[in-house]
Amino acid sequence: MSSGYIVTIFTFVAIYISLALSLNILTGYAGQISLGHAAFLGIGAYTSAVLAVRYGLPFWVDFLAAVVITGIIGTILGLPSLRVRHDFLVLATMGVNFVVVSVFKYVDFFRGAMGLVNIPAPTILGLTFRGGAPYLTLTAIYALLTLAVCWYLSKTWSGLAFHAIRNDEDAAASVGVGSARYKIYAFGISAALAGGAGSLYAHFLGSVFPDNFVFVESIGMLSMVIFGGIGTLRGPIIGAIFLRLMPELFRFIQDYRFTLYGALLVLMMLFQPMGLLGKDSWLWKFSTRLLPGNRTSMREEIP
Amino acid sequence: MLILQNLSDALILACTYILMAAGLTMVYGVLKVLHIAHASVYTVGAFIGVLVFSWIGNFWLALLCAMLISGVFGVLIYRSTYFYLLNAPRTVPLIASVGMFVMFTDLLQKNFLMGPYQRAFPAAGAGLPAIQTTWLSLTPKQLLILLVTLGLLVLLYFLLTRTRLGLSWQAASMDREMAAAVGINLNRSIAANFFLGSALAGAAGVLVGVYNNSVFATMGDLPSYKAFIIIVLGGMGSLPGAILASLLLAIVENFMVASIGYVLPRDSIAFLVLILMLMFRPNGLLGRE
Amino acid sequence: MKHKGFSLGIALVLLSLLAAACAPQAASTPVSTPEPVQQTEAPQVTEAPPASTEPIKIGFFSPTTGFAAADGTSALQSAQLAVKIVNEKGGVLGRPLELVYYDDAAKPDQASAIARKLIEQDKVVAAISGSYSGATRAAAPIFQEAGIPMLSAYAIHPEITKTGNMIFRIGTLATVQGRVGAELVGKVLNVKKVAVLIVDNDFGISLTEGFKQHAADLGLEIVLEEKYPLGETEFRPILGKIKASGAEAVYATGYYNEAANLVSQAKDEGVTIPIIGQEGYDSPKFIELAGPAAEGVIITTDLNRDSERAMTRLFLEQYKAAYGEEADMVGASAFDAVMVLAYAINTAGSTEPQAIVEAIANLKNFEDVASGPFLYYTPEREVVRPISSQIVKDGAFHLYHEFTDEALTKP
Repeated sequence: MSSGYIVTIFTFVAIYISLALSLNILTGYAGQISLGHAAFLGIGAYTSAVLAVRYGLPFWVDFLAAVVITGIIGTILGLPSLRVRHDFLVLATMGVNFVVVSVFKYVDFFRGAMGLVNIPAPTILGLTFRGGAPYLTLTAIYALLTLAVCWYLSKTWSGLAFHAIRNDEDAAASVGVGSARYKIYAFGISAALAGGAGSLYAHFLGSVFPDNFVFVESIGMLSMVIFGGIGTLRGPIIGAIFLRLMPELFRFIQDYRFTLYGALLVLMMLFQPMGLLGKDSWLWKFSTRLLPGNRTSMREEIP
Repeated sequence: MLILQNLSDALILACTYILMAAGLTMVYGVLKVLHIAHASVYTVGAFIGVLVFSWIGNFWLALLCAMLISGVFGVLIYRSTYFYLLNAPRTVPLIASVGMFVMFTDLLQKNFLMGPYQRAFPAAGAGLPAIQTTWLSLTPKQLLILLVTLGLLVLLYFLLTRTRLGLSWQAASMDREMAAAVGINLNRSIAANFFLGSALAGAAGVLVGVYNNSVFATMGDLPSYKAFIIIVLGGMGSLPGAILASLLLAIVENFMVASIGYVLPRDSIAFLVLILMLMFRPNGLLGRE
Repeated sequence: MKHKGFSLGIALVLLSLLAAACAPQAASTPVSTPEPVQQTEAPQVTEAPPASTEPIKIGFFSPTTGFAAADGTSALQSAQLAVKIVNEKGGVLGRPLELVYYDDAAKPDQASAIARKLIEQDKVVAAISGSYSGATRAAAPIFQEAGIPMLSAYAIHPEITKTGNMIFRIGTLATVQGRVGAELVGKVLNVKKVAVLIVDNDFGISLTEGFKQHAADLGLEIVLEEKYPLGETEFRPILGKIKASGAEAVYATGYYNEAANLVSQAKDEGVTIPIIGQEGYDSPKFIELAGPAAEGVIITTDLNRDSERAMTRLFLEQYKAAYGEEADMVGASAFDAVMVLAYAINTAGSTEPQAIVEAIANLKNFEDVASGPFLYYTPEREVVRPISSQIVKDGAFHLYHEFTDEALTKP
């Protein structure tokens, strides 16, 4: 049986579900398009790796530190978003990604291009989660946790505020929704969640190199959010599952996997611009009609 | 002397940046789309250039063919995707553009097109002489880049300011609805804009290919983000801004390297400049508002 | 409204259960495995009865798409060529070799999944990484734990072979090559002052480390040290500094594309001191891209293109015949990886992993490789072989000097 293979793939699927959901907080709820989310994955992974390899700290410390530190850095990096808007912000986030990667590469503390290796498998309560199904469980739990945070955010008042920012920043400010505060919250929460995913990523692979977190990865994450359906809970999940599995499922077409990947993105944007399961997508309408009791008026779909 | 040499090298580097960014800033000005697939047009241009050059051995003909085909390619991209996405949220054309870039790069890498290996583009200086004075020295290649860039910019200037087409672009880039309301044929105007912007990208591909004597399928990776740094620095959609930003960036990059070395890679230096500038001028050097 | 979040949550749980259900062996509670990877001995695998003509499967992964596609393609094509040559000579243990290969796009996450796929689905007896260091390093522990031998063709990160007793390297460790580079510059060329350019990846850093160590022994003064980013095309500002530094030679780490720009621009800028490279330059593309500026460049490499050795000639000629391109160093490493595995399985007389590993570890003066001969493997699973240096003359690499002193070439 090819158990480990499938488990490995689904472990990454679970990690990327967390990443896509966390990016969706920023891009979907708060309307701040980011092409730099891989930077937060990298900061989380490196925080965890540095603490584990250089200081020998246990997994739960690494993990919490990754969440907290990435959250703090995300909050700070969110500050420019108060001044910089729209496509300018997209480019600024892209820039953050480049700078973060080159800091990992050029600062000796992070061991530069030699990367950090021999990151131990996590040990919780004396149990070691080395690869396989146990690790998948760990990442699935984390994905659920991320989902819970997103669900909570989309329900609460701050969720409303996020929507207000996305739809009309100026109007949101004028009706007293502190748009600045919520933008910074969105950056902080989104980064913190991505940082946790980074910690899981580092402990799973056992080694991290700066090139794991390049800008192309950020594009991949944003694609997941938009491919699945931006601003919804289900969208980023299905986007992450589909776009992570696709290159593996299509191994039989060997070298044309990425031609197909690109073509799928284009076709989806042309025919279902709100994503596979976004609002207005025929698949979503179709499936909600099939399930009685499921009404389409969801909180996260406030126009 | 060394400083002057550094300056002239930076000037040539700036020319390659200008060419990468000029077409993109035109497209952005009218369409307001983060057109990452512009980098695919650049690669296609370089590929056509090297193909034609290897058949007939004439650089100028190769450049012309590359520009024409890139232009057509750009219009096809517009008509097949962005045309349908003009009123969609900004993320939609962005992801479509990413999709096209991934798809074209992957396809170009196949053996029936460019293959995975780099190819030489041995056009040298297209017969131009070297310039050697006490003040500066330019190799034939550098002179070629400089002359072609200046030539294309002059041409562009006349097109933009002296023709109906150029004026309609300017109107469209200020306000698309308004331009349509006053009777400008928006579709034709955008298509023409794409043709010219893409032709410029093709020219950039050819010239950078000649300059580095190498053409390869993933050569678009660099302009896919570098061109954006430049047009954002310059103030999205502003051509003079893009030129100014190219010069600034090339000089900062080269002088950083020449004085203190690579504290960070070239592109990260550029992004740092960008982020710092955005903190003080959120709309770019020559941006409106 | 409330159900949405929960039903999604349930879907996610179901998803992980589904994946776990597909995984009967691994779907156990978290296991306590206190031993670090380094110490785990490979489990013994009982071998199916021999005398079948079923192919022996060898796993292979390399980046045939993405930015690294050129190296990945060279590696794959060379490995395929080696398999063809082995099979034409009657295969291994009377059975044909079969190469099971996947594209990893040089990404560690893909490589780790591929490693599992090769082990579990394809049931390969051994594997070869034709990929870069990050991906190879991510795959190595998986092969180690499964007890499947893995050979790293040209990934040079020192940590790869430290993973465990199943992991061997074909290429020369970069620190060793850096040492040889210093010997070439300081002794053979008799240079006193050198400038060092470091490409900002593991290759450049490891090379420089070896170079600096040996330079100190030789009294070779490093007057300038500059790091530069991978893929850089504009070397003029650095060349200005090199001119001003008074260096008598440049030891420039990097790959053929950066090197081609470096030497061309050096010529333009009037930098006439010798430029010394390494196996990263060792591709016909270097000479094609750099043109006349490549003349006189000296590199250290494992592949001696002037060698009269039968296997080197066979590889160079057959590669050209099969693919219409000249072979490169990356290809030679992948080719040799297949040859070493074929030899090891033959010598072991079985496809049992421990026997294969022992056969590789005991290999002596092995001639059936393009970049050989392989003298022996060290206990750290690094190969010892003579290292040649080549000079570009009349548009081709030619032998310049051969380094056989083991004090120099032994890792």
